[in-house]
Amino acid sequence: MTILVNRFGKGGALLASLFLLFALLASPAVSSAGGESDAILKEARDALALGHIDQAQVLFAQVPAPGPDGDEGEFVYSRMQLARLFFSTKNMSKARASAEEITAVYPDNAEAKNFIASVDRSVRPEWRQVVDDCIRFLPSLLKGASMTLILVFFTMIVSPIGGLLIALGKLSKTQPFSGISWFIIWFFRGTPLLLQLFFIYYGLPAIGITLSPLASALIGLGINYSAYLAEIIRAGILSIDHGQTEAAKAIGMTYSQTMRRVIIPQTYKRIIPPFANEFIALIKDTALVSTIAMVELMRAADQMFNAYFNITVLVLAAFIYLIFTTAFTLLFEKIEYKVGVYERR
Amino acid sequence: METILELKQVVKRFGSLTAVNHIDLKIKRGEKVVIVGPSGSGKSTLLRTMNFLETIDSGEILFEKQPCGYITRGGNLVLDSQKKLCALRSEIGMVFQQFNLFPHMTVLENVMEGQITVLNKSKAEAKETAYKMLEKVGLPDRSSVYPITLSGGQMQRVAIARALAMKPKMMLFDEPTSALDPELVGEVFDTIRSLADEGMTMVIVTHNMGFAREVADTVIFMEQGDFIAQGTPHEFFSADEIHPRISEFLDKLL
Ligand SMILES: Nc1ncnc2c1ncn2[C@@H]1O[C@H](COP(=O)(O)OP(=O)(O)OP(=O)(O)O)[C@@H](O)[C@H]1O
Ligand SMILES: [Mg+2]
Repeated sequence: MTILVNRFGKGGALLASLFLLFALLASPAVSSAGGESDAILKEARDALALGHIDQAQVLFAQVPAPGPDGDEGEFVYSRMQLARLFFSTKNMSKARASAEEITAVYPDNAEAKNFIASVDRSVRPEWRQVVDDCIRFLPSLLKGASMTLILVFFTMIVSPIGGLLIALGKLSKTQPFSGISWFIIWFFRGTPLLLQLFFIYYGLPAIGITLSPLASALIGLGINYSAYLAEIIRAGILSIDHGQTEAAKAIGMTYSQTMRRVIIPQTYKRIIPPFANEFIALIKDTALVSTIAMVELMRAADQMFNAYFNITVLVLAAFIYLIFTTAFTLLFEKIEYKVGVYERR
Repeated sequence: METILELKQVVKRFGSLTAVNHIDLKIKRGEKVVIVGPSGSGKSTLLRTMNFLETIDSGEILFEKQPCGYITRGGNLVLDSQKKLCALRSEIGMVFQQFNLFPHMTVLENVMEGQITVLNKSKAEAKETAYKMLEKVGLPDRSSVYPITLSGGQMQRVAIARALAMKPKMMLFDEPTSALDPELVGEVFDTIRSLADEGMTMVIVTHNMGFAREVADTVIFMEQGDFIAQGTPHEFFSADEIHPRISEFLDKLL
């Protein structure tokens, strides 16, 4: 997990402590109301100016709590100075304790409370930071991921049906079916999906058809994948022994009965592995629809990465994609096993 | 006996090759016709014209005295509508050399399939008929397995049961035992013989002369798309009047 370096990590802490030191040196005295505390504070500031930090710490600690001989302003000032000094020397527990002395007396002191919070943040382990980031990013990513799944499932249902129709069209000897099928395959396999999406979303309005981003995405993915699957299905049908068609014909089956009952069921075993390939490519191809204003997983990740510049979000997105592709791989292995049952002795 | 199938001047060409050359043939109900001849002589092609798997170029085919399978359009023979062809084919059973069982269906489903999709029978009825047919071919106990688990002889017997389940009026066999190991040939011939005994009309293409002599009413010798000789097994195999081409062919077989 070394890539998960918090951008405000080690270097950041060093910068912050230097800055604190300067702030301490430059800060003017608060009130110079009274006696003993006043003297201690002056002495402490002198020690600090000379670089005697240890001594300054001892002196700041001696400023008494508010009461008969203590003043609120000086007490808060001294404990804050002390807390910052401890913070700059990375003594987080003492820094926190000093600030807590203030909140013990003044629970509403904003300066002390903020300080405690930032101490807590800086001592938190890295993995906690990562977990927090995950919790912060996950809701939006999951929302994007659900859109990705919608696109994938829709395409997975539509494209085998479209693919089958195109394949049967291309196999038929009747025009215009074979011509139309040839054209669809030629065009949609021959041009980038990105271009097709642009045509549908930005181009169709020119001829009076305006589609929502979702409709454009579904149509683009649906046709594109139909064209790819059509060639797989066609090859599957052609790979079935011609004797099967003859046997079906010989008992009086029509062409459509032969296809439906005899030929196509036998193609399943052969087309499932290439189908699995296509659908895994599909999961990743859905990222392309982010270019036509759809917010799916990739777009959601991109938006948050640009906002927070935190690599965790990209790693999370990668994990979600991997979960999807793994689940699909396993699912298709199962299906492949099932549809091939009749080939095992 | 009346004629069930008649071919009149049937011609089938593949490009410049004439596979079936002006064939006339009358098959009577219950008759067993065996066609023999060298490889490439057109036996399979002729058989396939009888159930319209092969489209003829000219001639006429009559099934139960009705010209069928073709219509004439602009002087050319064109295949009749799919509906009519399918109805015809369901009445003529065919058994192939390579069995061509449906591998994705169990034995029972193979035998039920045509009854359900073509004859629109109920599942229960189809199942009952299927069991009867499997019993007839001697395989009542293998109904739930997939074809891949069967021996060649068993596969061919299932294929016969599948054809019989359609209650065909005649059966065509294209070298039903040629793909089988010699020890499995007997069981398939036994099945065909029992069908013959029941009076089924059959056209059988085979290279097995013993079986031809035993089961045939008529033996036909075919060469280069033509019938060279035709007669009863007795006429055909009796040595004194045998055609020289046939004796040459028989000698080669031995
Ligand atoms: N679909 C086809 N296309 C072209 N030529 C074909 C076709 N089918 C058969 N033929 C040719 O027609 C001729 C007759 O073939 P056919 O299969 O009918 O012979 P056969 O007598 O059955 O031979 P075998 O004993 O080897 O089965 C052969 O020359 C063959 O090459
Ligand atoms: Mg042959």
